[in-house]
Amino acid sequence: MNRPDNPELRLPPLVEIRGLSRRYGDRLALDGVDLEIRQGEVFGLLGPNGSGKSTLIRLLTGLLAPCAGRITLAGLDVMKESAAARALMGYVPEDVMLYPGQRVHEFLRFMGRLRRLRGQVLADALERVRARLGLAEVWRTPLGRLSHGYRQRVLIAQALLHEPALLILDEPTNGLDPQQIIDLRELILSLVPRHTVLVTSHILSEMERVATRVGILLQGKLCSVLPLSRESRYRLSVVVEANEAVESLLSSLPGILEVVSLERKAGNERVFEFALAQDAPITLVAQALVEARLPVVGLHPVSGGLESRFLALTSRNTGA
Amino acid sequence: MNGFRAMLGKELQALYTSPLAWAVIAMFLLLTGYTFSAWLIVGQNASLVRVIHQSAVLLLLFMPVITMRAFAEERRHGTLALLLSTPVDEVAVVLAKFLASLSLVCAMLAPTLLYPVLLDHFGHPDWGTVQAGYLGLLLLAAALCALGLFLSALTTNQLVAAVTSLGLGMLMWVLDSLGRMLPAPFDVLVVNTSLIAHFTPLSVGVVYLSDLGYFLSLTALGLLGAVRALARP
Repeated sequence: MNRPDNPELRLPPLVEIRGLSRRYGDRLALDGVDLEIRQGEVFGLLGPNGSGKSTLIRLLTGLLAPCAGRITLAGLDVMKESAAARALMGYVPEDVMLYPGQRVHEFLRFMGRLRRLRGQVLADALERVRARLGLAEVWRTPLGRLSHGYRQRVLIAQALLHEPALLILDEPTNGLDPQQIIDLRELILSLVPRHTVLVTSHILSEMERVATRVGILLQGKLCSVLPLSRESRYRLSVVVEANEAVESLLSSLPGILEVVSLERKAGNERVFEFALAQDAPITLVAQALVEARLPVVGLHPVSGGLESRFLALTSRNTGA
Repeated sequence: MNGFRAMLGKELQALYTSPLAWAVIAMFLLLTGYTFSAWLIVGQNASLVRVIHQSAVLLLLFMPVITMRAFAEERRHGTLALLLSTPVDEVAVVLAKFLASLSLVCAMLAPTLLYPVLLDHFGHPDWGTVQAGYLGLLLLAAALCALGLFLSALTTNQLVAAVTSLGLGMLMWVLDSLGRMLPAPFDVLVVNTSLIAHFTPLSVGVVYLSDLGYFLSLTALGLLGAVRALARP
């Protein structure tokens, strides 16, 4: 399954965050974050531990109040119109121990009622999430006896009961086995563009597979928002005196979307990564490198490139 | 108040499927039953005042056990964040937990109504005193429950919630002895904040509006504190 195409991203933003700051005592956990999450996209939030991801999620869900700034969800101020805004979101928190004595259907019915679903609407919603999340097998099982994978499915089911405009998944792949991760990926991709999804994860490769854009948080600041289009990425090792020669050559070629200088090895060997539009052939690049008589050590495709861009950003921000 | 009925249903289910609730009810009935029988049979005393007083002390001990889990456990397990991310009203969450806990007190006290019925069968108990005594127990339980919920909402540790709740209850119970040692006008001020000073008249059948107001104010204060503790920090 593919990520949603760009035309959907032209819709107005569902979430608007402006100048958001949050302080815990002397520590600034979030520092003036500005962000827009567009309707129908899967937005990934990346960052090392303590970067402010959880604080941002807690502010967005209305569980924390900001020190400065504001968040709107579909035009509703998350603080001032809290209940209305919360009605539009489904939240799957990290590390929740659900009520062990409650059965799956009891818990989902309870959560549905908290989300203002009643009667036939609630019954239909329960039936829908039961089928969608494959919960029929454990429908009457107490939550305390569920495996981690099923618990995660139940958590996602409760968040989808009311067909929320925004689904927030906080580290949803934690503790899941490979098959469950694949299933979750398929599920997330099946939710867009009907729902907008905000997902945090430490697994960069997973983020690359599901996210349309990724925001990188470092030390409370949103350092970068990277689009993850379906481009091909390549890594080039070449022996040159200066970066500029290679960067200007690559940038001048048709189909090259982005060039990132990664590292400098011994003997002036420099490593670059570039993104190539899906329909542009790599042979053009190879030909241009040969014609420029650059001593190429290697040219090979890499996965989406999020990892290198993340590492480049983190090393730049930590001064490494 | 969105979510109140759903929350109340969930709280009642959680409370009455817990062995703790039944253990508390059983111990309460065992201890009050023993006191009633001993005073009636050995002491030849057909009054319920002693049972009412002992019930008050047992409430002081048992209410922290009933309320300690209310918010501390939800917070620790992450379910509080889940609940509060829905459009549920914080007041509904607090009231549901309060009424569910208070229902347990009613379940503890209801079987003890057999004692005045027995006394009535063999003699002529003062029903006014009995009614005032039970009213006092309910008001005391409501105040202790609200304070317990407030303290439970401040922590993630059930034991901390229970110990602080027990400590506060005990302190407020014995405050009158401290108050009597103080010079005027502090003696009146301190004695009037004591639980026992306001409970004793009710236990012997005297109903003052000031006592009702004291317990209701304390209850409202505890519930407001719990709602405030749930509000976004």
